Amino acid sequence: MNKSDRRAFIAQSAGALAGMALLPDITFAVPVRRGATRKIAIVGTGRQGRAIIDELRKLDAVEVAAICDIVPARLKAGAERAPAAEAFADYQQLLAKRTDVEAVVVATPTHLHKDIALAALNAKKHVYCEAPLAASSADCKAITDAVAGADKALVFQVGMYDRANPIYQRARLLARSDSLRDVVSVYAQSHHKTTWRVPGPDTLNWRLDPAVSIGLAGEEGTHQFDVATWLRNKYPVRISGAGAIRLHDDGRRMADTISVQLFWDDGVVMNYQATLANSYGGTYEVVNGTNGSLRLAGTHGWMFKEADAATQGWEVYATRQQFFNEEGIVLIADATKLAAQGRLKEGGGLEHPPLYYAIAAFANSLINAAPIVCTASEGARAATIGMLANQAVLAGGTVDVPPFV
Amino acid sequence: MTRSRNTIAAVRSATAAMGTRFEIVVASTDGYSTQPIVEEALREIADLHGRLTRFSADSLISHINRTASFRPVRLDAGTFALLAAAQAVCRQSGGAFDVAMGSGSMILDESACTVALSSPAVKLDLGGIAKGYALDRAAALLRENGVTAALLHGGTSSVVAIGSPPDAAAWRVALAHGHRFPFIDLCDAALGVSRPHAQIIAEHTHITDARNGAHIAAKRFAVVVGPSACLADAWSTALAVLGERPPGLSRDWTTFIELEHE
Repeated sequence: MNKSDRRAFIAQSAGALAGMALLPDITFAVPVRRGATRKIAIVGTGRQGRAIIDELRKLDAVEVAAICDIVPARLKAGAERAPAAEAFADYQQLLAKRTDVEAVVVATPTHLHKDIALAALNAKKHVYCEAPLAASSADCKAITDAVAGADKALVFQVGMYDRANPIYQRARLLARSDSLRDVVSVYAQSHHKTTWRVPGPDTLNWRLDPAVSIGLAGEEGTHQFDVATWLRNKYPVRISGAGAIRLHDDGRRMADTISVQLFWDDGVVMNYQATLANSYGGTYEVVNGTNGSLRLAGTHGWMFKEADAATQGWEVYATRQQFFNEEGIVLIADATKLAAQGRLKEGGGLEHPPLYYAIAAFANSLINAAPIVCTASEGARAATIGMLANQAVLAGGTVDVPPFV
Repeated sequence: MTRSRNTIAAVRSATAAMGTRFEIVVASTDGYSTQPIVEEALREIADLHGRLTRFSADSLISHINRTASFRPVRLDAGTFALLAAAQAVCRQSGGAFDVAMGSGSMILDESACTVALSSPAVKLDLGGIAKGYALDRAAALLRENGVTAALLHGGTSSVVAIGSPPDAAAWRVALAHGHRFPFIDLCDAALGVSRPHAQIIAEHTHITDARNGAHIAAKRFAVVVGPSACLADAWSTALAVLGERPPGLSRDWTTFIELEHE
């Protein structure tokens, strides 16, 4: 066995070990086309809607047949991404005219989700609704009621894309294994330097409108609180918050910097920081356990082991990255597949943006009846946590989380 | 940033992308309204970095490099136009500029709006054109939002000028010292600069002759001024390789090439 053969052998063995240590292995399924392509409409072609079009284009099984936005510049930008799609300024007209469309993606401002989602369900369309699901409890309830009353064959997926992310799915298995053992604490942050204002009519600046916006805690925090509750499989019982304007003193009433704490009934606390005044570190989540820590940052994830934690096996062969004094074991989503190809060392980052996996999962549910990665009721609970966190920030105090059924 | 509507001030902001720093300066009487426009343009540059870099596994270019030799990859209209522009410069420069690195070529199908690669040994590298393209897109967004005087640059080697500053007929861009062209005046024009010796990594310069893979050893300095930063970026690389202006280059373009002294 020459040197390179031996390397390949070791890599393959490591992959086999990884598969054993982490069964069931996360294998991401690309939806396979069956018969004609399935037609999808995008309502809302701002940056998020356009990013969704980009990921849908990678899937042979689907096509973007119609797009809709009330802002002409955004509709034009959407048309560049989906040149073959029919463009509409009114979603009601889209639904009335394009009866061949099977599914609707709702990527509008959060407070506008409900009406569009309900109209789409009413027209018997599958729905992918961006997260947070809605900006009020009443809207969350209206949506979950409508889904409950709709044809059971209809897919309704909420865009909590971390739940579909293969690295986060692997992390969830690790968080429930001896790799982490007992959770000690959770930290997450979302740091950006931006005004959060966008050019154009005032309606585009809904994020800064206290009448409709659920603030940084709702718009950014919802995703990251959900990572913690989903990894723990447990909702917090109490939330406290504080907020301030640290940079953008331009007449706005929404805090540009917030701190939030989520308390669980077992004593675990999540500390959360979000700001629009500083970009250091960006967006990530850390779960600390008695045997190690997980750090998750969208396309990448790492595990840091405590010195006294037992060797699991798979991590011996994994790629490592240095973070100052700490060594991170790179989490790979498809270790077995990469090892079979002798490419284990290349793994580490996702091959697509995290959004792709959520979109592909939706297509998979649509075509192959695969389980829905985030249902309307799960999305409603996540949005509720975000809204309660925003209430805590606005009050500068503590709110109780009602028990979820 | 100022909220006064009487004085003209500069709104200036920057972002790190494509291995360099992009900066935008807008002359404006209303900094409050201009700031989000500048942020929107910077966000466009950051998005394009995410799509066009070959250094991230999750970029569109990495997706193309992994899969387009097995089956054509569907593209959006903007990316298709970018690749078509790159292919045109490749043809017109006799292959001196080529985004398809390695043995093989890029195959574009306009009617299907797809790209394919002729072999797994060929990979796309938009390093010589993406910065200029990002600036063109950012400038288009600024113009759409009513900006009439701005200067944008990516790592100082690609520049776009919108209009002129309020107190001058053009944006004056200084080139390096010791050249025959110490500065260039730009008004509604783009500039691309290629200086092979500016980024020497080990013994190699960062400009490669796409025709034979050789690194350009001569200290050639190429400057291209014309209507698009994307093409100025590509042509400056081609001219640094060729060392002379190709006969087919349109009269819209002004070029300067000189050999640098030790």
